[in-house]
Amino acid sequence: MEVELTNLSKKFGDVVGVEALDLDIRDGEFVAFLGPSGCGKTTTLLMLAGIYRPTTGTIRFGDRIVNQLQPRDRNIGMVFQSYALYPHMTVFGNIAYPLKLKKVPRQEQQRRVEAAAETMGIAHLLDRRPGQLSGGQQQRVALGRALVKEPDILLFDEPLSNLDARLRLTMRGEIRSLQKRLGITAIYVTHDQVEALTMADRIAVMNLGRLQAFATPDDLYERPPTKFIAGFVGNPPMNFLEIEFAQENGAMQLRSESLELGLPPEFAAAAAAADGAVTFGIRPEDISLDDYGPVSGEVFVVEPLGRDDLLDIIVGTEHFLLLADPKRKSRAGDRVRLSFDMTRAHFFDPRSELALSWK
Amino acid sequence: MAAAGALTNINTDSMSGRLLLALRNGLLAALAMALLAFLFHSLLRPMIGSALVEETLTITLSRLFLVLLPIAAYLAAGTAVRNMEERHKALILALVAVTAVYALVVGAQALLGAGPFAPRPSLQFSARQTDEGILVEALEAGGAAELAGLQPGDIITAIRRDQVTLTELNQRVGLAEEDDPFRLRYIRNGEQDQLTVRAVLQTGVDNSAIVTGLVIALVIASLSIYWPGRTLPYILLAVSLLPMVVGYLWLIIATFSYRTRGILPLDGAGNIGGLTIENWGFLLGEDIAGLEFSIWQVTLNSFLLAVLMTAVVLLVSSMAGYALSRMSFAGRKFFLSFTLILHGFPAVTLLIPIFFILLNLGNLPLIGQLIGFNTLGGIALVMVAFDLPLGIWLMKGFFDHIPWDMERSALIDGASRWRVYREIVLPQIRPGLLALGIFAFIGGWNAFLIPQTYSIGAGTVNLPVFLNELIDETAPVDWNQVAAVGLFQLIPIFIFFVFAQEYLLNIYAGGTKGSS
Repeated sequence: MEVELTNLSKKFGDVVGVEALDLDIRDGEFVAFLGPSGCGKTTTLLMLAGIYRPTTGTIRFGDRIVNQLQPRDRNIGMVFQSYALYPHMTVFGNIAYPLKLKKVPRQEQQRRVEAAAETMGIAHLLDRRPGQLSGGQQQRVALGRALVKEPDILLFDEPLSNLDARLRLTMRGEIRSLQKRLGITAIYVTHDQVEALTMADRIAVMNLGRLQAFATPDDLYERPPTKFIAGFVGNPPMNFLEIEFAQENGAMQLRSESLELGLPPEFAAAAAAADGAVTFGIRPEDISLDDYGPVSGEVFVVEPLGRDDLLDIIVGTEHFLLLADPKRKSRAGDRVRLSFDMTRAHFFDPRSELALSWK
Repeated sequence: MAAAGALTNINTDSMSGRLLLALRNGLLAALAMALLAFLFHSLLRPMIGSALVEETLTITLSRLFLVLLPIAAYLAAGTAVRNMEERHKALILALVAVTAVYALVVGAQALLGAGPFAPRPSLQFSARQTDEGILVEALEAGGAAELAGLQPGDIITAIRRDQVTLTELNQRVGLAEEDDPFRLRYIRNGEQDQLTVRAVLQTGVDNSAIVTGLVIALVIASLSIYWPGRTLPYILLAVSLLPMVVGYLWLIIATFSYRTRGILPLDGAGNIGGLTIENWGFLLGEDIAGLEFSIWQVTLNSFLLAVLMTAVVLLVSSMAGYALSRMSFAGRKFFLSFTLILHGFPAVTLLIPIFFILLNLGNLPLIGQLIGFNTLGGIALVMVAFDLPLGIWLMKGFFDHIPWDMERSALIDGASRWRVYREIVLPQIRPGLLALGIFAFIGGWNAFLIPQTYSIGAGTVNLPVFLNELIDETAPVDWNQVAAVGLFQLIPIFIFFVFAQEYLLNIYAGGTKGSS
């Protein structure tokens, strides 16, 4: 089912939860709402669920405006971060509850609950109570309960946050494949960019109640439209630096207090026209340790990540994060030289923080 | 200053260091107590005394400090070495230190002419106890007794008309002031007569007091070393609970006794024994103290009142608590603080206005018969009103602990708000409901003030009011029967507590279980 949000706002007294949100979600699409805590993503989700009434704007499911519909009339399934299972009911009771409320005949209930439990791999737990289950099992029960009534839309509110890292990885894949198989439109709220990037067809990045971008994961990563997104998406985060441009010997150069870098020709024209300071951004993987590189610095901190070492390098007064091969056995205090892959540089207007699309 | 410095920097590794420490602590404790006594006796008393004519508190306190002074000093000395590895060494140190402290205390007393060195009132004769009375054995030459005309061989039987033994006589003399008269009744050569001896203050050292004091000091020192640790809280608890335990013990024993002295059952002749079940005769509908109530009618009233209260309090508190916890509406904050103020309102102040309200409610058509003055419904209504603020706040607290997500989930699953409340939320706070229900039931069962005020006649009297009627009669009160009725009233409460302890404790823990 398509979901369309038009000029959607939610205010709690004077506090703005969500402001002027416009979003079109296609049928069967997996959309992630990504943003830091308090950015309005859960508020939006609860408006979709019918828990919060929007202050302004409309929510459309298909061609029906659902603003005034009660949660129970929206035919949605929702999975909460806390799982929100009913502790006084068995697993069977929990999964059957939506069916019981729909007055589905008892035998039909039995059949559908067992089918859902089978899908989620919890058929052997039906007699237990939530308190007797592990976090992962509770998560599956919650998912089973959301799916059993065959909803048009599935809502997820940070469902994997309470699981351990290993389980999170498997559940990510399971949820994704389940959603594709059933073809249900899914909206997934998370503050974990890895979840958003790996699971979603499109990501809606939100900050301070406003939509920052709505694009595919690749687009967001390769062509971040704002500095906020550039810094939020990607781990380790992008390096930022305030710079100015200067012309030397006919070539454009990028300058700050601490370093000077040559600029590839595709940026030159735009850079020459730039007026004053610009924010320069470059991802850690686009800086490399290179004994013949143009920039020299000193290793400040080494964080071994296993496959890579994350190095914090001081160049003059600036810090740069970059990834290095652990075989180099870098240590704090080492003198190193760096080279920058300037073809992958990003530039942002320091005032509006919008990307300068110079390429 | 140098000496003070040396005293604070005691090396506690060596035996002599330890001893020094014990001595120092003992002396400091003694000094502190002496100062306190001085403060109360010589500084505070004159100040307060100028304002109040009769003021005994400061005197009592200053004496108490003086009496406790040596004990505190011994304990301080003993505990200073208590934590030593070798107990016998600690004991030796403690004994030495305490003896030293004792010597100092006695020395101070000798200097001040206090304690065993103080002049003591005496009648100046020696005597011994015989079957007939106190046999005078010898008189001090020129002493008070001789001057008064007492002779050896006289047998003292009484002071005025009070029979005395030698011990009692000595006690009374010990408390006397100089020149206090003692009119002694005595038998000389078979003739009874009396004479007055005036007490004189006699100086001298009371050696037996000094020896006794030393023995006490040494015993305290040994105890302070060998007393097992961490028993103090239990001792304090046991001591402070003792009056209650004795009270309940008496209650139970009294119900099965003809009469009691202390907590001992006595029969008619005053010997221990005389157990009976007569006091429980009221259960069979026997006439009680001339009152025309059947105990079963009264019990039924109590029960109805308790059940009615429980039902209404539970229903209203849980729904109001839910609304206050979960919904936002105009006046919510005001309502919350207002109920809290109501909770602090003493019921007594409202007795008379409520009486008029009940009278008027009684005039309502139809329901007036149920909730007016002198109806169980009216009494229950008032009791419920006084109980609701607490109930609402308790319930709100329990609802506050239920995660919002659980309700949202149920709403999305397709339940209506009412159904969510009934099927999802209420089961989560079952411990709270049970606890509040039990409190309401006990409150209704034990209710006295309001039923007493708004009920007349057998139709509405409940057990506590009935119990009061038993005592109110002008005829002599049969306390054993009162005890039996009281115990009868306690039975349901007792059963409740046995089964519901866990939930009652839960209400103070305030949490819900199993919120996942």
